[in-house]
Amino acid sequence: MITAILQRIFVDPWPFWAGGIIIGLLVPLLYYYFNTALGVSTGYGNLVKIFLPARHLQWINTKFKETWSWRVYFIGGIILGGFISSVLSGNLGFTSEMGRFTAIIGWPPLASAIYFFIGGVLLGLGARIAGGCTSGHSIHGISNLHISSILATIMFVIGGIISANLIRITLMGGAW
Amino acid sequence: MNKKMGFLGFGILFGFALSRVGASEFDLIVGMFTGEDYTLVGVIGIAVIVGVVGMQILKRSTRPVKNGEPLKISEKKLGPWSLLGAGLFGIGWGISGACPGTVLAQLGEGKIYGFFTFIGMIFGTYLYARLKEKHPSL
Repeated sequence: MITAILQRIFVDPWPFWAGGIIIGLLVPLLYYYFNTALGVSTGYGNLVKIFLPARHLQWINTKFKETWSWRVYFIGGIILGGFISSVLSGNLGFTSEMGRFTAIIGWPPLASAIYFFIGGVLLGLGARIAGGCTSGHSIHGISNLHISSILATIMFVIGGIISANLIRITLMGGAW
Repeated sequence: MNKKMGFLGFGILFGFALSRVGASEFDLIVGMFTGEDYTLVGVIGIAVIVGVVGMQILKRSTRPVKNGEPLKISEKKLGPWSLLGAGLFGIGWGISGACPGTVLAQLGEGKIYGFFTFIGMIFGTYLYARLKEKHPSL
């Protein structure tokens, strides 16, 4: 019995609702303990300050006074969470597998790396102009019924539908 | 609870949950946009429902914040370019099959291409800082 429960939590994939409950609970929990909004993408500004020579840029200077703020710890925690998940489910190790991208498109490594880099640049730039990402706007903002976050999420989804379907049709041989 | 250690712990929980429901899988994110797999729509939907109910309970409680401070909810205001930025973000979401949170779970899982999405995100944030020097309205 206990082994079966532990197996469910730590080894098997979770049903969607279990993940939804845990992720949704983070919003009130972070307010209760730290009076702080759930959000990930702003922390990439801390990473810019750590990894790139950007201290002369005013936005970096004023918004990220404390380089190693809680945001960096949050980012580190999420990485660690993914790591623990793959250790416990027995999938640990580096993999160049990326679902249908590697299975169907099968580009050489350099082209694939550039593809994901470009996706990342759009995510980083877009999140800052939008003022948040999936966690800050879509989970936190909608949980607080903020119209701005509902609008931003609609635009996230429209952008995603356009690019994912263009890629499915042009690179994966999908039907219109 | 120390804030940094607290966020480390909640981050581990977040990354673990993202990884367990498959939010770090390229196919699930892209499938949500192509209509082939609605798992993540369910995850986000349940998360929002739990978030709305949780925040309503918190707002009505006599002590919403543990240390007794008044609850300070941060609302993200939209600038003139925000919705355009959100569109760019969405395009990047559909290309990379990741978002700023799930790419971190991918890193932990050892997905090599997730690393390139990750450094792209850092570079995109840097680009924003550069653009903002000349265009403060961004």
